[in-house]
Amino acid sequence: MSMTTSNMISFSQRLRASYSPRLLLSELLMKQWFEPVIPFLLMIGLLVYFAIAIPGYASLDNFQSLMRLYAEFGFVALGMAFCLIAGGIDLSVGANFALCNFAALFFLLVMEWPAWLVALATLGVGMAIGAINGILIGYIKARPFLTTLVTLIILRASVNILGEKYATVFATNSVENDAWDFLGEGFVLGIPINAAVLILVLLVGHVFLSRSRYGWHLTAIGASRKAARHAGIAVERMLFATYVLSGALCAAGGIFYAARQASADSRTGVGWEFSALTAVVLGGVSLAGGKGTVWRAMIGAIIIFALTNGFVRMGIPGYITSGMIGVILLVAVGIDVKWSKNRGKAVQKMYVNPAQVPLAPAPSLQRGSGSPYAQNDRLINAEAIGLDRVEGPEDVILDRQDRLYGATRDGNVIRFSGPNFEHREVFAHIGGRPLGMQFDKDENLIVAVAGMGVYGVKPNQEVFKVTDETNRTWYKLNDDSRLRMADDLDIAPDGKIYFSDCTTRYEMTTNTLDLIEGRPNGRLVVYDPATRKTRTLISHFHFPNGICVSHDARSILIASTTLCKVYRYWLEGEKKGELEVLLDQIPGNCDNINRASDGTYWLALVGIRTPAFDLASRMPGFRLRMVKQTPIDEWLAPGLNHGCVLKFTESGEVLESFWDPTGISHSTLTSMREHKGYLYLGGLENNRIGRIKLDGADPTWTGYEAYWGNKRRDKA
Amino acid sequence: MGFFTYFLRDMEQIVFPKREQNAIPSMDGALSPNDRLDGCEVIGEPIPGADDVAVGGDGALYVSAGRQVLRLSGDGYRERKLFASFEGNAGGLASHPDGRLLVCVSGRGLAAVDGTGQQAWLNQAGDQPLNCPTGVAAAPDGSIFVSNGSNRNTPEDWATDLMQKNRGGRLVACGPALDKPTVLLRDLAYPHGLAIAGDGKNLLLTESWSHKVSTAPLQGQGIGKMMAVNSNLPGYPARLAPAADGGFWLGLFALRTHLVEFVLREDDFREEMMRTIEPRHWVVPALASGGDCLEPMQFGSIKALGIQKPWAPARSYGLVARLNEDGDVVESLHSRVGGHHHGITAVRETAQGLVIVSKGSGRVLLDRSGGRQ
Repeated sequence: MSMTTSNMISFSQRLRASYSPRLLLSELLMKQWFEPVIPFLLMIGLLVYFAIAIPGYASLDNFQSLMRLYAEFGFVALGMAFCLIAGGIDLSVGANFALCNFAALFFLLVMEWPAWLVALATLGVGMAIGAINGILIGYIKARPFLTTLVTLIILRASVNILGEKYATVFATNSVENDAWDFLGEGFVLGIPINAAVLILVLLVGHVFLSRSRYGWHLTAIGASRKAARHAGIAVERMLFATYVLSGALCAAGGIFYAARQASADSRTGVGWEFSALTAVVLGGVSLAGGKGTVWRAMIGAIIIFALTNGFVRMGIPGYITSGMIGVILLVAVGIDVKWSKNRGKAVQKMYVNPAQVPLAPAPSLQRGSGSPYAQNDRLINAEAIGLDRVEGPEDVILDRQDRLYGATRDGNVIRFSGPNFEHREVFAHIGGRPLGMQFDKDENLIVAVAGMGVYGVKPNQEVFKVTDETNRTWYKLNDDSRLRMADDLDIAPDGKIYFSDCTTRYEMTTNTLDLIEGRPNGRLVVYDPATRKTRTLISHFHFPNGICVSHDARSILIASTTLCKVYRYWLEGEKKGELEVLLDQIPGNCDNINRASDGTYWLALVGIRTPAFDLASRMPGFRLRMVKQTPIDEWLAPGLNHGCVLKFTESGEVLESFWDPTGISHSTLTSMREHKGYLYLGGLENNRIGRIKLDGADPTWTGYEAYWGNKRRDKA
Repeated sequence: MGFFTYFLRDMEQIVFPKREQNAIPSMDGALSPNDRLDGCEVIGEPIPGADDVAVGGDGALYVSAGRQVLRLSGDGYRERKLFASFEGNAGGLASHPDGRLLVCVSGRGLAAVDGTGQQAWLNQAGDQPLNCPTGVAAAPDGSIFVSNGSNRNTPEDWATDLMQKNRGGRLVACGPALDKPTVLLRDLAYPHGLAIAGDGKNLLLTESWSHKVSTAPLQGQGIGKMMAVNSNLPGYPARLAPAADGGFWLGLFALRTHLVEFVLREDDFREEMMRTIEPRHWVVPALASGGDCLEPMQFGSIKALGIQKPWAPARSYGLVARLNEDGDVVESLHSRVGGHHHGITAVRETAQGLVIVSKGSGRVLLDRSGGRQ
């Protein structure tokens, strides 16, 4: 979408307004997938380093052999990762792996079983050992660390005893078995068989962990065992299954190792539990449980493997490698604790990114100066309707039966009826924060609801959804498909609903931050009832607020709250699709726009520009530090405690203004609606709807007739 | 200011947390907000520009307002007559033991006015004129102490002085005949009020920009070592007066806010603001607020359902506090945001009760309970 409010300003300002490294970083940090970025870069860096430092490292042959060497460790690390995510730990993985290695060789060479049976039986052994851990930890509720440490010692001793006893048998026996040799040396699509299986397991594991009910249960248990139990998750069974899974993964590693090495050396898998633990934590699987993915485990495992392997090939002694891995574990654990604790805070500190706001000069408001903006007291004595019986009517509208509607902060549309509007009723409860309203041809009340989208209320008070999402911008990190804060809307003669979504970065409760940020975060969206499609017309709009289809229905008027301007967007004619500035130097922050009976328009100013806030708007660094260093209530704001309504013509000339200069009756004035010679006033934070008599206005003119009836000006 | 300057400042805040910027103390305990100032009796018609008050030897009140000093007497001080008028605005007042009234006159200096209206002047101290006299006090032995708030601005431009972060105030002493002026202290952060403590042996001094009250023993026409009594007040102290049961009353003309303290750290913004914006629309504390829609506003001040929240950040505020000899606040009277009697510049105990000057509203208030609850 090329059309934005930023087109009106210089290129460098536009660049600064739209792109900022801080903004990118803060949005990246909010993404789950961005968490393991540091280990990922470390992994790439290490591989590049070894490719440069070791001759022949970057060759295909080498990578194939590295993959074959790596895969078994990958299985073991994955087992460890599952246990960590479930909030436990499995120290017996190395020993289990070694035992499975022995078991596979035993089944093959001593029992002389066929390869498939060997594999199955070995898996069974691994799972049985995992089951012992699982029963102790899941059902008997033993501590995972001590339990698996004990299992580690017992298994390691067993492996040593058995290994000694059968060493000679293994050395002398040999079996011709093609299937078994394939497990040791085969390739699938150029990938070593063990690595190919690992990749398959990873894919399944990923889907299991992130998309399946059991995966979510597992993560939930890791995050908080107690909460998981309260949520009705079968904690015991899930924990049991997790250790069985870990055992099975160790067994898979053991099978491939046996097939490749055919040796029951007593040093098999020694220290792997710590390598695996280091790897997994380094990759970003939290030691505290409940956080991690299979990919993170693999990133960590590849780093550890590449380090060990690379150092050996560079001739660095093994004890130095071990020492280094120890240091890495220490650093990784430290970062893990600090990172998980402070990431949210970091995002909070960085999310608001003020930009320079290209404001035009503000006109004088001097009383009695003869300027159309000169302050007066025409709104102070407005008649109050529903005083203290309506909470923050952001927009007001009247229907054909002269009933008055207000969109209030409690998610309601309140209706006042009777000759003096003394009868109050809740017309509809929509929820969210209803803001702009308009009647369509069938007298359905269409409402823009912040936090929800665009909704409608039928005359029989039935609420229905119009739309709540639009097309997503492909290059944006923040998902902007949902309507965050639909603000105001208007309906064209063809039934299309044009509405403003005033920010895609904040919510109703935090939209003041958008005022402080001053970036083009909002957009103009259109819903077409014929196709039931919602489409973004203008992205990157500085806080679009009021929307009004022009009297001739050839264009729409859009108010920008932060830029204090009114724009015109052409729907047809030679300028179709173009955006132009209609009102440039407005003394306040524009809110709703509505039609007036004489072919002009009404514009509400929610705030008055103050010299101090204008200065701050030119100094983004000042606002950034203000946001960081002072509490939100203390931030400099536009002058929101004043009420002002402007009247302007089709050609952009401001005719007159109506003021309540210190907000005695109407502060945060956000809307006005002309109806049968009166002007009705609504305010975002006010406790009433106001009404003033307009001199010389058409006493038969109503909004409905101007849009759908005999007062239309578009088919003259 | 570049990035490095901000970095250095951040580091300074971490390494020397007590240097310069003390956290604004919260208004709790004896400083808990109330509406007592709004409930005070107003003495007669408003007196626009009312600034300081003194009690004469005859029991009458003398109030400085604009270019005049008024004499208020009778029950409830309802009788009012003009006592003296000057070419500049009259500010700080004090009664001399010999019956003369000492008047600080902006741009001129210190005047001593006797019962017949005869004026004597002190216009110069050391090498500099006394053009920003803010407060005056007379010791029992007749020695006179006068504070000169700034060497760059007159008292009317106090907001400019705050935003310039000036430290150019002086404490001057002279003899009973306004003779032999000597500069006792220099480089003070807008000394604003002077008083002789109830025991007659100590001088009390407020410094607005460093939110501090200090004391020093009197030594004839000189003073001993200055000691801070309270160096982190929640507002900007104006004038003070001894309290009958020890300690003293203090008027604070505005509260410190996070935003103003922040702007004081932001040199670029502040300089640009002073260069391009009218002073009444600056981000500064004010004696009164709310009447002008171009005044800066803060998010906490948004009226909700037609109500101005009393806890909103205060551009102007009314606060009178009684402090004991140790500098602890023991009692306070408030006019909160949305209240009427803001900008308290002076407070004085009199025979009829506690007299409070609210410069923001141009009113002199009388609390017949003596300010005690």
